[in-house]
Amino acid sequence: MDYNKKPLPPVVGKIGFGLLGVGLLLMILAFVVDTKRAYFDYLWMYMFLVSIGAGSLALVALEYLVGATWSTPFRRISEFLASLIPLLVILVIPLIFGMHDLFHWTHESTLASDPLLQAKEPYLNVQFFLIRTAIILFIWVLFYFLFTRNSMKQDISGDPLLTKQSIKFSAVFAILFIFTITFIAIDWMMTLEYHWFSTMFGVYYFAGTIVAAFAAATFCSVMLNENGYLVSKIKNNNYYSFATLLFGFNVFWAYIGFSQYMLIWYADIPEETFWVMMRMKGSWSYFSIGLIFLHFVIPFLALLPRSSKVKPKLLVVMSVWLLLAHAYDLYWIIMPSYFTEGFVFGWSELGFLMFAFGLIITVFKIRAAKTNLVPVRDPKLEAGLNFHLN
Amino acid sequence: MIKNLINKIKEFDTAEDKERRSSKLYGKAALYNTPNQITEAAAVVAGSGYKKFDVYTPYPLHGMDTAMGMGAPKIGYVSFILGITGTSLALLMMIWMSTIDYPNIIGGKPFFGLPAGIPITFESTVLLCGIATVLGLLVLFSKMPKLNSPLNDTDFMKHVTSDKYGLVIEADDEKYIESDVLKLFADTKAYEVQDIYFRESNLTTKTPLFDKKFTGAIIGTAILTAVVSYFTLNYVLYDVVPFDWMRQQGRIDSQSKSDFFPNKSGMREPVTGTVARGFMPYEYAGMPDSAVKLLANPVPVTKKSLERGQDRYNIYCSPCHGYFGDGDGRMRDQFPKPPSLHTEKAKNWKDGNFFHVMTNGQNVMPSYAEQVSKDDRWAIVNYIRALQRAKDAGETDLEKAK
Amino acid sequence: MSLDATYTKEIPLVEGGVSFKDIDQVIIEPTNTKPTKGWWIAFLMSLTALTIGGVSLGLTIYYGIGMWGNNQPVGWAFGIINFVFWIGIGHAGTLISAILYLFRQKWRTGIARFAEAMTIFAVMTAGIFPIVHTGRPWLAGYLLPLPNMNGVWVNFYSPLLWDVFAVSTYFTISFLFWGIGLIPDLATMRDRTTSKIKKTIYSVLSLGWTNSNRNWSNYERAYLILAGISTPLVLSVHSIVSFDFAVSVIPGWHTTIFPPYFVAGAIFSGFGMVSTILIIVRKIFNLQHIITINHLETMNKILLATGMMVGYAYGMEFFIAWYSGNTFEQFVFINRAFGPYAWSYWIMVSCNVIFPQLFWFKKIRRSIPITMVLVLLVNVGMWFERFVIIVTSLHRDFLPSSWAMFTPTLTDLGLLLGSFGFFFTFLLLFLKTLPLVSISEVKAVMEGAQPTVHPHPHSNGKHNSH
Repeated sequence: MDYNKKPLPPVVGKIGFGLLGVGLLLMILAFVVDTKRAYFDYLWMYMFLVSIGAGSLALVALEYLVGATWSTPFRRISEFLASLIPLLVILVIPLIFGMHDLFHWTHESTLASDPLLQAKEPYLNVQFFLIRTAIILFIWVLFYFLFTRNSMKQDISGDPLLTKQSIKFSAVFAILFIFTITFIAIDWMMTLEYHWFSTMFGVYYFAGTIVAAFAAATFCSVMLNENGYLVSKIKNNNYYSFATLLFGFNVFWAYIGFSQYMLIWYADIPEETFWVMMRMKGSWSYFSIGLIFLHFVIPFLALLPRSSKVKPKLLVVMSVWLLLAHAYDLYWIIMPSYFTEGFVFGWSELGFLMFAFGLIITVFKIRAAKTNLVPVRDPKLEAGLNFHLN
Repeated sequence: MIKNLINKIKEFDTAEDKERRSSKLYGKAALYNTPNQITEAAAVVAGSGYKKFDVYTPYPLHGMDTAMGMGAPKIGYVSFILGITGTSLALLMMIWMSTIDYPNIIGGKPFFGLPAGIPITFESTVLLCGIATVLGLLVLFSKMPKLNSPLNDTDFMKHVTSDKYGLVIEADDEKYIESDVLKLFADTKAYEVQDIYFRESNLTTKTPLFDKKFTGAIIGTAILTAVVSYFTLNYVLYDVVPFDWMRQQGRIDSQSKSDFFPNKSGMREPVTGTVARGFMPYEYAGMPDSAVKLLANPVPVTKKSLERGQDRYNIYCSPCHGYFGDGDGRMRDQFPKPPSLHTEKAKNWKDGNFFHVMTNGQNVMPSYAEQVSKDDRWAIVNYIRALQRAKDAGETDLEKAK
Repeated sequence: MSLDATYTKEIPLVEGGVSFKDIDQVIIEPTNTKPTKGWWIAFLMSLTALTIGGVSLGLTIYYGIGMWGNNQPVGWAFGIINFVFWIGIGHAGTLISAILYLFRQKWRTGIARFAEAMTIFAVMTAGIFPIVHTGRPWLAGYLLPLPNMNGVWVNFYSPLLWDVFAVSTYFTISFLFWGIGLIPDLATMRDRTTSKIKKTIYSVLSLGWTNSNRNWSNYERAYLILAGISTPLVLSVHSIVSFDFAVSVIPGWHTTIFPPYFVAGAIFSGFGMVSTILIIVRKIFNLQHIITINHLETMNKILLATGMMVGYAYGMEFFIAWYSGNTFEQFVFINRAFGPYAWSYWIMVSCNVIFPQLFWFKKIRRSIPITMVLVLLVNVGMWFERFVIIVTSLHRDFLPSSWAMFTPTLTDLGLLLGSFGFFFTFLLLFLKTLPLVSISEVKAVMEGAQPTVHPHPHSNGKHNSH
């Protein structure tokens, strides 16, 4: 073990603060200029942060659960990214004030005149909605603290019993995660069009989340490792695993997306197709086709050859690409409810995106300043460092 | 050390095997005990400049490719090329079959819908890619089947398919010098060295694929199978249920008796008080006067309705009435000649009158209600009007037409 | 990958410190010895079931599918249930051989060969049903887009046609995958056997494989590629099977979660079947130290995980049916859970979701008798899952005047029994003729099997290993 803790270069912090500051300014301006649009943008940004935060925590749990060793040297990175979770609790507050602008079903007049909504009322009412969100966020925060606490403790004691305990947490969290991510997707995104329903929706968002969280982890791991902030032994075999899983998760997303679209397209039932039709209207049709190419076709072809799976530069590019592709995907899910005639991407949207990236970088930087970038005394670390393909 | 090893060289073949082996040397084989020894040995052999050598292990060893100085396997290219061939063939096949050769509207969808084509495209890609990978591995890269390899049936092979690690340097390698090879084997801690000789059969036999008897047998079997299956299916089993192409069916023909229904009639009657769709009874049957008075032509005179009328008229009316309504149809000598449609009487007829005759029949003319739908009958009336007008055409009409 | 209690070392996959020679010996032995009494009893039972199935099949082909219990409105019943059930069983084999290979789960080596063989036989069994279901199976050639005298082509919009492509591709690729894996083992057997006839057969089948590293190199890459394409293939096959239902507009069938739900269910049922048979096989053929209790425990964990995925889908379907506000959707699900077929629904839920929860306990995961009971229940539950999906969605359709119950006929039951007979007959023959564990793969993952030095080519004396 030849790990020496080095602080991250100051440029990281500068970029983070810069993005955060400019983003915040643009956000405030956006709320002043067009409040409703700003709320939709805010929801978009919030779901992106949920993807990274909750998704990273799921990746940490996944590593414990399946007993993977190759990813142990990089687990800290996902833990850092999961630090967004406590912030999610604060960031959700503006959204609660924006519910009237975001969700038609909260309007008394809609409820009175829509028998379908009346049928859903036991589920779709503001109180229950907020209770659900609170429970979901509580579960995430709880497990975030459980996992990081164990991981930090192990840095000092190296006790394998902590790993055993984390494995138990992971089994519970895995189940809770599937349900929480499903219901956060249904509540905050599917009910934007409260008539529409799809049993696949939770799985679709889950698939996107894992791609995004894994892309973020890949980007940070490769950048840090290439610049010598991690243990020097790590080489191609671990990169290969990153690339393969990134590729695999992305194909899984495409599979889920295709299945959902194809079944709706084929059965052609109006109560389902209208959601797709909203995304075929005007310039949205180009946006939808763009989703196929940007999120699936191009990353698929780029990551397919075996040789490309060990090129750090390509991995860095593709992980940023997929992060942006996930933002694109979320935009495709959320924004047609606001921009009904065609898609618009202005300074307001850009501001929210900058804020999201700025926040992720800043949080990462703050956490990385205090903690080891590698779980130095994790019992699985040695196996992870000596990891060989085959 | 070297001498010891030479003494150890064993006569490993059985007497029978030995007879079948020539004196031409294929190469020298060494056996090792541990994976580390063989990996080191391979690195040394490759580093010493030998080209025609190979390592034989009971299972693939990690890092052996590097030790032997081999490049990355190229089989991926074969898989990829055949894979995308599968993709394009499937797409082209579906597009050609369902939009060009046999277009059919299914479920209100386009002739070819890409989402519905994805499953088959994917399966074809995988199928071709998989077959290409396996055939590429066996035939292209491993040159199999190699049942006549000189290594087969040797003691050496029996060890490396079980628990030992072997290395063979071929005798026709440019750098092959017996003493060097033996020294190399000794230095790398080989525990046993063997000579491998070609067999007689390796040196003489040609490939059996072009043997006359072999090819003849294959072609003969193919022809025989084809002929037998043709005769079995088309002659022997032709009348045997269920291979009779559904020529024997338990159906009831129209007008025939059936014991299944209580009234012994094979045909069903409509439920009392109901009318079959499109078969509304004609309300003026036998009442020409009221028909003339009350029936109004619902079909407007348009180019489309006139063309439809012409079409129906030429099919159903022209055999007796003639193409232009002169009553000189193709049936004129076998059947009573109908009156011309250009008489003053006919010209003064109301539309309802024509419709009534077509629906109800008149004199020897039967009803055409069964053959020609209601709207078509009105369209024919329009067409008859057009024929009547055309007979009366004057010089000025031509001017107008311009 | 199983780590020991300190999470630093892997638990050895092969127990008891056996040598490579022992591995050869113990794996090849069943093919050299005369079948035991137990084998003969099992074989005769399978043959009896196969005969009953054969008679039922003959009746179906001669008299047509009127011999089955299908009626209006339940126009699809045992035929498709059995098809989906058997295709699903096959999926575990591909999962073990391909997906776990990609995830480098070394424990798969002990069970991969057997599971792959199971896949092939299960797909063969499944293939019988759609072909018979066409009514005139001798015209099955029309299922393929072949030029014909009518000048027509197949309907590319039909998910049943996608099935034809998916199942035939799946069979072909699984067979090739299995065959490729067998080649090195056949070479080992060729060099071990003393019988002349066997030697000839093994020589021909092993195609003269010599274990040369220049071949291994391509072999491993080809294996990786096959695993790489089999993984999406296995997802696609059961997804396409689910499309048979989901592209329709029948409430209870048309729901977007069907593809991944069917795939999870398929893996779940497949693992149930693999465990059921392996528990018996490892005992009979003395393979306890190759197929260890750790293997069974890992499989039980996978059963628990996939069982819960299936449970998630059950729950999601129910929730969205309510949430949709669509009365027809709501009716179908209420009818499933509390209608005349409620018993089948609760068999499904308890066998697939509730009982596997016992696998949370390590003691139960490692107890062979309890595992045996639970996996048998999984097999039952997964058959009933297909029964529930197919029969309960159909038997009360949009027109209450035509509601009816489905009762299987003797022919239906005979075919179901026969499908088990067909499957087990092949499986038993396989067990006595080919190595049921991959010899070369097991050797490769044993302790000390891999070199610890990784040198580059160098002339003698200069060491640069690292």
